[in-house]
Amino acid sequence: MDHIRELSRILGSNLITEREQKIPYMTDASYYEGDLPMAVAIPDTVDQVSAVMKYCQGNSVPVVARGGGTALTGSSIPMEDMLVISLAKFDRILEVHPEDRYAIVEPGVKLDNLNQHLQKYGFFYPPDPASSIAATVGGSISTNAGGLRASMYGTTKNWVLGLELVLPDGNKINTGGKVLKRTAGYDLTSLLVGAEGTLGIITKAIVKIWPLVESKGRILAYYDSIEKVGSAISDLKGKGITPLIAEFLDRITMHSLSQTRGLEFPETASHMLIIDIASTRESIGRELKDAEEILKKFNPISTEITTDKEEMDRIYEARKGAYSSLLSERSTMSERVVIGDIVVPASELPQALKESEEKVQKYNLTVALFGHISDGNIHANIYADIADQDHMKRVESFQHDFAMIAIMHGGSVSAEHGIGLEKKELLKMEMDETNNAYVMEIMKSIRKIFDPNGIMNRGKMFDQ
Amino acid sequence: MINDLVKELENEVGKCISCGFCESVCPTLPAAGYNLWKGARGRVILGKELLSTIKDKETINVSDSFYSCLDCQACLYVCPAGVNAGKVSHISKSIIASDTITGNQNPLAKMMARVTMRYMNPLGVREKCADWFKGMKADPDSNDLLYTGNMYQLMAYNKGMDSMRERMGKNLSEKMSSLVSTIPGLMKLTPVKRDEIIGQKMDKTLSNIALLLRKAGISFNYLGEAEPYPGTFIYDLGYLDLFEKYAKKIAKILKDSGAKRIITVDPHTYDLLKNVYPKYVDDFDLDIVHYLDLIDKSSFIGGSDSITYHEPCHFSLRDDAYNRPLETLKTVANVSLPARSGRRTKCCGGPDELIFPELTRKISEDRYRELQETKAEKIVTACPICFSNLNKGPEVIEIGDYLLSKLKN
Repeated sequence: MDHIRELSRILGSNLITEREQKIPYMTDASYYEGDLPMAVAIPDTVDQVSAVMKYCQGNSVPVVARGGGTALTGSSIPMEDMLVISLAKFDRILEVHPEDRYAIVEPGVKLDNLNQHLQKYGFFYPPDPASSIAATVGGSISTNAGGLRASMYGTTKNWVLGLELVLPDGNKINTGGKVLKRTAGYDLTSLLVGAEGTLGIITKAIVKIWPLVESKGRILAYYDSIEKVGSAISDLKGKGITPLIAEFLDRITMHSLSQTRGLEFPETASHMLIIDIASTRESIGRELKDAEEILKKFNPISTEITTDKEEMDRIYEARKGAYSSLLSERSTMSERVVIGDIVVPASELPQALKESEEKVQKYNLTVALFGHISDGNIHANIYADIADQDHMKRVESFQHDFAMIAIMHGGSVSAEHGIGLEKKELLKMEMDETNNAYVMEIMKSIRKIFDPNGIMNRGKMFDQ
Repeated sequence: MINDLVKELENEVGKCISCGFCESVCPTLPAAGYNLWKGARGRVILGKELLSTIKDKETINVSDSFYSCLDCQACLYVCPAGVNAGKVSHISKSIIASDTITGNQNPLAKMMARVTMRYMNPLGVREKCADWFKGMKADPDSNDLLYTGNMYQLMAYNKGMDSMRERMGKNLSEKMSSLVSTIPGLMKLTPVKRDEIIGQKMDKTLSNIALLLRKAGISFNYLGEAEPYPGTFIYDLGYLDLFEKYAKKIAKILKDSGAKRIITVDPHTYDLLKNVYPKYVDDFDLDIVHYLDLIDKSSFIGGSDSITYHEPCHFSLRDDAYNRPLETLKTVANVSLPARSGRRTKCCGGPDELIFPELTRKISEDRYRELQETKAEKIVTACPICFSNLNKGPEVIEIGDYLLSKLKN
């Protein structure tokens, strides 16, 4: 069967077959390079997606769905002569219903564009991965993306009410709906969040939206040990305060932000805490003071409060761009920053960080540690020379040990970036180490029910 | 030169981590149906591919990817690693133009470069470009030279170029372009039709700019029919060897006029003379200004007009952002900027007009809609190319025309 000819019949000019035009689809934001895809489909209707899937299922053509191409684990790159299905043309915000707290959007809408639109209504969609300028609704649902605001609002899974999905056989289904409560059988919507395109192609999403916070302020606190940082945040949360965002940065990250963004930090600070408090206009001052008093109990080098919007935006953008700032400090062109993404219960964080730092020493790597402290989510940003095999072996060993730290402390090997190619082995390790090998078997069975021919993002997440 | 270009390309693409942030602001990507090779990240990835191709002495067909880049540089301001996809495209075009890899030369681009070299004007219509000055007098003794660079005047030929291409079809038009590249004199035998309505409009704008300068007490010289085109196309399309020769020739003409200061009227000429000429012409010491630099902002009557301003890329997205037009407008009207403004302004699509008119049409329609969303009564442009592309309603007006109406008596 001539796949290209048959797919051309369905897609017309929405099918890319020229080699040069296919090359840009071989990469996403990870350090993996995929294979040259067989072709790239850029459908503009759900019917086209259905027809393409029906053909691919019937002819065992492997497919990979692509959103914004911002995945950090290689989940959106093609392998083995795959057909790439780009959802870029599904870029419309279809409905916004502030009174019912939901919006209906197509998967190719970029998160920042969605929020820019929702702002007109005084609402927003909370998931905010650092790549929100380029990441799409569909892609972030497929990886269950988190972000800074997860401290208060949770990750993407908390914000998806319903999905329209084209199954591998081309049939279209709708899961969930427009309501904030629903207990109608198995929660298939939740199953599809974080599925990394292994179960079907998302063609529409009903997402929950929320009113913009009335007022917010920020506390910056600097400490000379990670234990103090961990104890401070634990006490803060223990006292019933839920920060809007709660971030920590280590010295390497602070240094790169001072180099690239001109931010200034106390010289003796080894770690920094960024705490945002959201409240009413009347209460924000008092609540910031209360929170600062708690942070002060743990002997910070200094603390400061700001409610100045420009200053807050500057720090927020700097933190969101921390990964980028680290990149600009690369010593060679072949060096990349590989991101570890573990999560532990927040109270375990100081110990997990201490153990992580020991592993950095053991493998003689340069690693910047920062993350979402309120969620216990640590990002280990490892400078990795992909041209140096020995170096990459040490990076791999560190990633293994780093993941093991998460498992030993009751956490997980992936907090918000997904599994993709990068964490396949780590996912297996987590299941084995936690005596949950059978859970992996259940996952495999579910995948097989949706995708009996194994055409959906083959080779990603886990092998069938 | 090729080794330098290769090195420069290696440095630029080497910084890229493929995050895709640039794609979110690249105007050509949605206009091209989201085909990544006509988007910023795709161009950087193909820049890497181009390097491998050169190294392995293979062939590749990447011309359209780079020639469709608007060089607006919006990508640079969102890139966490400081990669400039516009620069990647420009270097790649320069490699293509140098014939380092075969089969990638764009016939239209080559024709434009060759005709400009021959006639000091991309369409061979230099003489016609001085019509707007009829009835006015230049001051040959002035240290100031008003230099239009033929840019406003050339807008009258856009439609003619489009319809000629449509009539001929792609293949014939490319064959014709190749022929004219070899014998540039043929351009004079197949003149491009001038749109008289646009032509008169552009001529009027230039007259208004001259009037603004005169009212500000500036007496200036003007070269009339001898005024050459600055060479923007030759540079933008990557013909760097030709551009170097051309820029030296133009610099000599400008210097020989006796001018000490060059008063430019459009962003492309301003940017080229200020930022590019010094790299190609030794001792290029002419003072380059924009005409609004010379007009006191207090000369205008303040008012409550509701306007929006479309910032040209060559003013807002270059290292030394030039904000004088916006500052001036703010003194005379209530300015509401579109969602994409300042360092995130969005190109009108104009630079693709020559080779990819369909992309230009889509981008300009999109930008026009964004400007309309501000609900302002007037849309003010400050560039002949932007005006030409966004002129989709009576509310669109060039800044020179608008400011003249606001001048105090």
